[in-house]
Amino acid sequence: MSVIELRNVFKAFGKTKAVNDVSFEVTKGRIFGLLGPNGAGKTTTIRMINYILTPDSGQITINGIEASPETQKMIGYMPEERGLYKKMKVFDQLMYLTQLKGVDASEAKKAINYWLERFEASDWKKKEVGELSKGMSQKIQFIATIAHDPDIYIFDEPFSGLDPINSETLKEIIIELRDSGKTILFSTHRMEQVEQMCDDICLFNQGQAVLTGNLRHIKSSFGENSINLEFEGDGSFLDKLEGVRINNRSTNFAEIRVLNGQNMQDILKLAMEHAAIHKFERIEPSLTEIFISTVGEDNIKRSEIQ
Amino acid sequence: MSLHKIWLVLKREYLTRVKSKSFIIITALTPLAFVAFIGIIVFINISETEVEKRIGILDETNVLVERLIELNEARYFDVGSDPIDSLRARVLDGSLDGYIILTDSVITHTKSPTLVHGGSGGLSFISAVRSDLREVVREEKLSRQNVSDEIRDIFETRTGLEAVKLTEEGESEDNTLFASALGFILGLMIFFGIFFYGALLMRSVIEEKTNRVLEVIASSVKPLELMYGKLFGVLSMALTQFGIWIFFYIGLSIAAAPVAGMIMEAQMSSLPEGATEAAAASFDASTLENMIIEPSIFIYFILFFFLGFMIYSALFAAIGAAVENEQDSQQFMPIVGLPIFVAYFLNTKVMQAPDSSLSTFISIFPLTSPINMISRIASTSVPAWQILLSILLMVATFFGIMWLAAKIYRVGILMYGKKATFKDLAKWIAQS
Repeated sequence: MSVIELRNVFKAFGKTKAVNDVSFEVTKGRIFGLLGPNGAGKTTTIRMINYILTPDSGQITINGIEASPETQKMIGYMPEERGLYKKMKVFDQLMYLTQLKGVDASEAKKAINYWLERFEASDWKKKEVGELSKGMSQKIQFIATIAHDPDIYIFDEPFSGLDPINSETLKEIIIELRDSGKTILFSTHRMEQVEQMCDDICLFNQGQAVLTGNLRHIKSSFGENSINLEFEGDGSFLDKLEGVRINNRSTNFAEIRVLNGQNMQDILKLAMEHAAIHKFERIEPSLTEIFISTVGEDNIKRSEIQ
Repeated sequence: MSLHKIWLVLKREYLTRVKSKSFIIITALTPLAFVAFIGIIVFINISETEVEKRIGILDETNVLVERLIELNEARYFDVGSDPIDSLRARVLDGSLDGYIILTDSVITHTKSPTLVHGGSGGLSFISAVRSDLREVVREEKLSRQNVSDEIRDIFETRTGLEAVKLTEEGESEDNTLFASALGFILGLMIFFGIFFYGALLMRSVIEEKTNRVLEVIASSVKPLELMYGKLFGVLSMALTQFGIWIFFYIGLSIAAAPVAGMIMEAQMSSLPEGATEAAAASFDASTLENMIIEPSIFIYFILFFFLGFMIYSALFAAIGAAVENEQDSQQFMPIVGLPIFVAYFLNTKVMQAPDSSLSTFISIFPLTSPINMISRIASTSVPAWQILLSILLMVATFFGIMWLAAKIYRVGILMYGKKATFKDLAKWIAQS
């Protein structure tokens, strides 16, 4: 069952086509990753799902209802540009934000107390947000997103600006939410996060959804066309290889995508002549590689997806 | 449009402001500052006349100096026949402010005498001396011509003017001076009110942008709901503040008359028999009665403040939405500021001539009307149709500006890290 559905959605700002004929479905109880470089249209898409912006044409439905103030209540949204009122007390602030989502006062109070308890933050209730540390206010921000107990969670670049510990906590919570039957959609330009967490993905480039579907299926459909190479010694032989694309290269590691049916054994031979090989493994391509081969090497800025 | 959400936004905006320390401080201090401000002006006016300059008179006619001393003992004195050199020296060392040599030709040939002074006299001082001289020379001439007492009386006639205001309730004591002062002060208060509360609203919008809380809010509330909520929240706070001030003013003015009466009575009983009557005559109870402001003026004041605030605050909110920080708002301020400053400066004209065609025009023109109309209402009787017209025009202007502001607001609040130009604003209005 699809909880979020986009059909032929367009959105332009002046002459820029921010979102250009995008369609995808997010299935209930799964983690959906929206990925692509900065400026690909992810945030605009997310804002339209949240009814902050409206599409120029096309249709967006949440649980079968067209995006509207009604559907806003079903979603817990944490934008990339996030923050809280600095001079407002933690509890008042959470009450305000939760009530704006249509929850009545007594229920909001119960939920907020529960979550503050769970995050061991009950002591901060009367503190102004400005007094809290960054990690603390990130927790409050998260409570503000989930206190109205929505079915759908949308996080725009959730890991940007998080310290490693909070980042790990958030990952765990996202997976926990999924396991309890909630639906999660998040966007990121960091491919490795998607590989670790997502069930389904949608690849964005220049306002278009270039690849959509189940992450496992997508990867296996590309076949084991890549090599994971670990070595010790002079890595300059990698530059001599032809008909390959090297991703994720470092001093003693390289991920090699083999193009036009090049023989992998030849690569191994060449490598052995120049360096000590610790590992040589045939693998499915990484998401970075999938993204590059989907949109074409000339159409992307590498620095933005790694 | 959800009224419940507007209410929630309004409540937050109102409560966080009214509970803040700065609200309490400003509510308490503003009337004090106002009183102090008026006090300083009065003090300056009094102290100006108190510091009297000493003018030495070297009188060769032997008649004028007596008349001058009679006229103003503190200012003039006879230097007898001191040599001019010593007079000059005294002016230079500051022990004398100036001297005048009066020869007989001043009387006979109407020659202008010369005032030699050490500077720092000011125009009003020189003209005061001039009019003193005119008076004594005229008197001397009249007495030399042996003019009869009747004619002398004619010259001494000082016709005054009693003004009485005719209203439906009959004739009443004229209070033009108080009324125009009140009109000016009310206009001034609306001017400051619009600027102060408008800027407050703008800062509040900018704050939501810089705190990055805006997009969280926008996922629950429509931009227009947010804008209305904030606007009415600040307005409620403003009205609370004005309400407190008006309440205290009415309380004070009701209490003032009996208290003043009691003080007068106490003073009179301690005076000797004959002086009592004179004192009673000099104390006119109606001067205090004049200080009681008609309730309808307060109602108009609130109404015009309300409309003026709505018009300008919509603009302020739109500016807040278009910029990233307060410094960037400067480039848009002149547009909002110009009409309101014009209204403020022209308000002195309204005070001088509340019924002139200029005053009538600016009191009806919607962008200046909130300030200038209240000044007119307080100081003259404005035809009902003009008041009605100005209100209608303001309401229409409000909806027009709100329509524009909402478009800027809707786009602007989601723009980060970009400084909007006028061209951008036009684009935003066109595209939404």
